[in-house]
Amino acid sequence: MRPIKVLCCLALFLFLAACGEQPASNTTASQGKGQSNLKTYKHSEDGIPASLDPVKASSSYAGLVVLNVFDTLYSYQYLKRPYQLKPNLALDLPQVSEDGLTYTISIKPGVRFHDHVAFEGGQGREVVAEDFVYSIKRSFDPKSNASGAWLWQGKIKGLTEWKEAGADYDAPVEGLQPINEHTIQITLAQPYPQLTYTLAMPFSAIVPREVVTHLGPSFGAQPIGSGPFVLQRFDADVAYFNKNESFRQEPFDPAAEGYDPEIHAGLGIESLAGQSPPFIDRLEIHFIRESSSRWNAFTKGDDIQYTTVPKDKQNTVILKQAPLTLHPQITENYHHRYGTETGFIYSGFNMEDPTFGITGNLEQDEKNKALRCAIRKAHDWRQKNKAFYFGLGTVFPGIIPPSVPEFDHHTSQDSITTDIAGAKALLEQSGWQLDELPVFEYHVNASVQNRQNFAQLRAFLGKIGYPLHKIEYHPYPSFGAFYRAVQNRETPFFFMGWTLDYPDAESALQLLYGPNQTPGANHFNYQNPEYDALYRQASIMQPSNERTAIYRQMNQMVIDDCVLISGLSRNKIHLWHKNVVTYPDRQMLGGGHLRYVDVN
Amino acid sequence: MSKWKLAFKPILTGIPLLLGVTWVSFLLMVYFGPDLSYTMAGKNPSTEQLQLIRHNLGYDQGFWHRYLAYLKELVTFDFGHSMYKDQKVTSMISNALPTTFYTLLPGFLLGHVISLVLAMLAARHQGRFIDKVIMTGSVIGMSISFLVVIVAFQLMFSSVHGLDWFPVRGWRIHGVDGQWSWSLYLQYVAVPTMAILFVTLGYNTRFYRAILVDEQDKEHIMTAQAYGHSTFNIYGKHLLKNALIPLMTRFLFSIPLVFISGALLIESHFGIPGMGQLTYDAIMAGDQPILKAVIALTAVGLVLMMMFSDLINSWVDPRLRDS
Repeated sequence: MRPIKVLCCLALFLFLAACGEQPASNTTASQGKGQSNLKTYKHSEDGIPASLDPVKASSSYAGLVVLNVFDTLYSYQYLKRPYQLKPNLALDLPQVSEDGLTYTISIKPGVRFHDHVAFEGGQGREVVAEDFVYSIKRSFDPKSNASGAWLWQGKIKGLTEWKEAGADYDAPVEGLQPINEHTIQITLAQPYPQLTYTLAMPFSAIVPREVVTHLGPSFGAQPIGSGPFVLQRFDADVAYFNKNESFRQEPFDPAAEGYDPEIHAGLGIESLAGQSPPFIDRLEIHFIRESSSRWNAFTKGDDIQYTTVPKDKQNTVILKQAPLTLHPQITENYHHRYGTETGFIYSGFNMEDPTFGITGNLEQDEKNKALRCAIRKAHDWRQKNKAFYFGLGTVFPGIIPPSVPEFDHHTSQDSITTDIAGAKALLEQSGWQLDELPVFEYHVNASVQNRQNFAQLRAFLGKIGYPLHKIEYHPYPSFGAFYRAVQNRETPFFFMGWTLDYPDAESALQLLYGPNQTPGANHFNYQNPEYDALYRQASIMQPSNERTAIYRQMNQMVIDDCVLISGLSRNKIHLWHKNVVTYPDRQMLGGGHLRYVDVN
Repeated sequence: MSKWKLAFKPILTGIPLLLGVTWVSFLLMVYFGPDLSYTMAGKNPSTEQLQLIRHNLGYDQGFWHRYLAYLKELVTFDFGHSMYKDQKVTSMISNALPTTFYTLLPGFLLGHVISLVLAMLAARHQGRFIDKVIMTGSVIGMSISFLVVIVAFQLMFSSVHGLDWFPVRGWRIHGVDGQWSWSLYLQYVAVPTMAILFVTLGYNTRFYRAILVDEQDKEHIMTAQAYGHSTFNIYGKHLLKNALIPLMTRFLFSIPLVFISGALLIESHFGIPGMGQLTYDAIMAGDQPILKAVIALTAVGLVLMMMFSDLINSWVDPRLRDS
């Protein structure tokens, strides 16, 4: 009888559990508050942030949180595409001197930090110009392990000297001065037209000195800013926020945010006009890596209200690829939009590695260039797009992706067109015998998709006669290990992605700038004096046709030198519940759209 | 041997064990673990910035210097801040450990109890139909990947495509008033418990059956049967009591592994903020302070269990005490 009793107990246990009340979406979010009528929005992301300290917010997941807890001087218009900057904490766009070296920025008065015991009386004090100066200095503090110093390194006058002098926060920086409580002046060593963009990035978010000092290293776990939401708790994979009740009153103006009825009608956004964000009382961000878990939680109805469609669920969602059509059941139950990333994926050659790069022997260098170009000609982007991105990706030549205004629709498509006969002819003309071809090592972080990528590339190369036994897979156990190998120049050929930091092609062109060689962003270790000279020339120019022409010339150089096989910008499908009013964006806005979310 | 000697013997043997485990794991971490400096340095760092971060993370110090610092951390139980999350390691562990305890306890206890019952049934009907059914079930449970079980159970019990009885994921066991809610707890723990049961029943049942079958062939059981003792008496009093040492040893030694290392797959898939999730994230990120603490805690837990195991064994079997 005893085993039966035990089984009965188990059955009873399960029965009780099944009969228990389901957690309601709104009530659970308001734990301990006793308020069940609060508006809660449950967002999801497919990765987990690490530190929430702005100076370390290098991942998009950390950036998402940072931009909602802290203020930056500038942000992007909610709905406008291509992306347009707008003042956030700043009163207006910066006043720039004629020589482009001095930026004067006024900040809004009366904006207060969230309450914290480190403030006098525990109440958040007003944000002042000195806070911005302090926040930028932190990126140059040797003790802060900051990730974003490269944005201002050598550009803002005196920061490097301040760091070398011991990083004393009480010491002034020549190029970073608070003129008065609400005015900042930035002086540059040379014109830096992208500066305003960097002031919209999470790295430039404004933090209160006394709280940073009070919390020490724990500031990254308990961030205090002046943004629209106050972080309540951050479990391993859920962050809970409350609305910042004292957030400044700035009525939402759809037209000023780029509202376009043709794109945004039917989403309910226009109904928010005149109200001040944030519109929700509680925000939950669920960081869910497991795609099946995320999908089940989204379709269940109350666990999360937004997701991007995981790769393994695209078959469930997509009815037709051209033109992209979703299943009626999906469009009936959820709002959706497609969004192209402001970055791209590519495969690159390490030009310093003699296998494919520069050897110093001119004849061999020409042969290597022909080999790189032949490998690129063998590449079938259409197949790759179809196999791994459901045909949704946008393939483009070079490194200026379609998401930036400098993109050129007229660039030759040859570099992204498969040409097996051309590849074979190129190898033959340049004197390559097939059995002399070097071992082809494919370096990448280990994952199922990357293994499949390798198998596909191997098949592409097989078509031009590359000996298959010479094509090797070199996986690394983690992205960190792979990235270290790239930075240490141990990877003759690698597969990576790049996300633009601002909507300016310079953010991609810096990838090939010689002085940025590894450990910098130039993972190819590409050295081309002509390219570098053009980069330097363009980097101090304000947006203009002339600058765009230079950008395109640089793009063509990279294509002609066959430094990389590029590129494809991935297209994500965003889904959200019909009771949620939003227009989600995971790119430049970086989470800035969450303050405009409403829940009916 | 006195109880004190019995208790302290494992401590003495445990010290080399602790040193060995910490040394080997630290060696693996230092030479084969991820190097965080490259990812922390951001997109476009200079060589100098990289070196600075390496210095801040302590990567530029010698192995023995770092290992001795680790031992000091172990003694003081202060592992500093997570390299990745900016939180105090001890506070992260103290938050995660109760969650893991509540998540795994039902599956752990039920798994052992049900396995024991099934093993007794199988042993009693050794070679017959019931035995074969139980053993076949055990092999099936052992053969299916844990991950497949988790995904399938989540789909069956939690998703709208299945029964939709339980939450898909998460861990909200406190009600609106902020108080512990049994109803919520049972909902969130049900599917993980079923998944744990499905996978562990097979292993435990086969192990317990082997012990019991071996024990039931012994002369004292045959004698009891010859004297006409009831089955309940024979199994409850004679067989289980004599098999208690291997049973308790298995039970006790699985505690630190399960509760401190946690159920990596269960917690990461169900989004439960326990030790498994913490360890998984630390492994993926190369967060050495957390890994050091988890490894040290597991090793200490094992030593403690060795101590308890010896004490309990001597209590169960007085011959051990006398020897």
